[in-house]
Amino acid sequence: MEDARGLKELQLDALREVANIGAGHAATALSQMTNQTIMISVPEVNVRPLEEVTDLVGSPDGVIAAVLMQMMGDLTGRTLVLFPEASAFRLCDILLGRPHGTTTEFGVMEQSGLKEVGNILVSAYMNALSDFMGMMLVPSVPGLVIDLAGAILTTTYLNFGHERDFVFCVETSFHVGGASERLQGHFLLLPDMPSLRAIFDAIRLP
Amino acid sequence: MSEIMVRVADLGVGGAEDVLVTVGLGSCVAIILHDATARVGGMAHVLLPSPALSRSADNPAKFPQLAVPRLVELMTARGASEKRLVARIAGGASMFANLAPAGAIQMGERNVVATRQALQASSVPLLAEAVGGDFGRTVRFFVADGRVEVSSVAHGIQPL
Repeated sequence: MEDARGLKELQLDALREVANIGAGHAATALSQMTNQTIMISVPEVNVRPLEEVTDLVGSPDGVIAAVLMQMMGDLTGRTLVLFPEASAFRLCDILLGRPHGTTTEFGVMEQSGLKEVGNILVSAYMNALSDFMGMMLVPSVPGLVIDLAGAILTTTYLNFGHERDFVFCVETSFHVGGASERLQGHFLLLPDMPSLRAIFDAIRLP
Repeated sequence: MSEIMVRVADLGVGGAEDVLVTVGLGSCVAIILHDATARVGGMAHVLLPSPALSRSADNPAKFPQLAVPRLVELMTARGASEKRLVARIAGGASMFANLAPAGAIQMGERNVVATRQALQASSVPLLAEAVGGDFGRTVRFFVADGRVEVSSVAHGIQPL
């Protein structure tokens, strides 16, 4: 398999299932932290040229809060959890026990809170993968960036990935169940190409 | 006045009526060329420091060493003079720097170095740069007077 365009339907299904398990556990963690119902979407495998990753989630000039962690151990790659700016503000309100609409900027407290949430969510995601596949996965420390979506996504692939042509991610969206809440985000799993084989082997896929 | 959007690994050329815009530069670099007399401008949003890092080099806008000559060619075709061209660059940030392996040279920095070399190779003087840092940038280039605005979430709008 030269790049992610060569993935077969059964392999894409397997990746969606793996992402679903990871996102399911992360959503449970978020649900407990916020005391809200969290709904997750069916995961999507996105394969596209590197130059088109900027509109992977929403508009490239939208501001997002992104927590990135490197995945090490039996698999290598990255996981990202992304919140659009408005959702990140709302999340800070909930975490810091403030009335709705109080947070309007990302100070030290807010950034620290978001980073910690990202850390917990990504760790829950990786733990689930680790249990499911019987692998040892070690997360790095988290990195938080609040910036334009386009800049964050290209940098994630360019600086930390090894593929420079066709890249891929497995994306799961989530949102808070209640209609009154506008809290949503995305989990992105970005395994390195050589690690795909390890994933397929672990779940006994030929 | 009309806006020309320059996407990632894309380039565009415009005249006095145009504003060239590129959004969300992270480790990528925007190369902005201008001929003030002919009022012709060009912008490229390059992604990688060298075609060797990619399997295919069929998109010149992806790499500085191919993008600069291509911009010069397109601009001279619109009446610019190679001798009058001047350059500005922006981008090349290092985001998530705490996750990079210690001592590793960041892609943003490599893109900036490769861009400076490409400009030198084409003998285009580099007037100003807004590079590095740990934040993304958006660039607006007004071809009529050569004005360049660099905006970021962290620092607002600043002239370059």
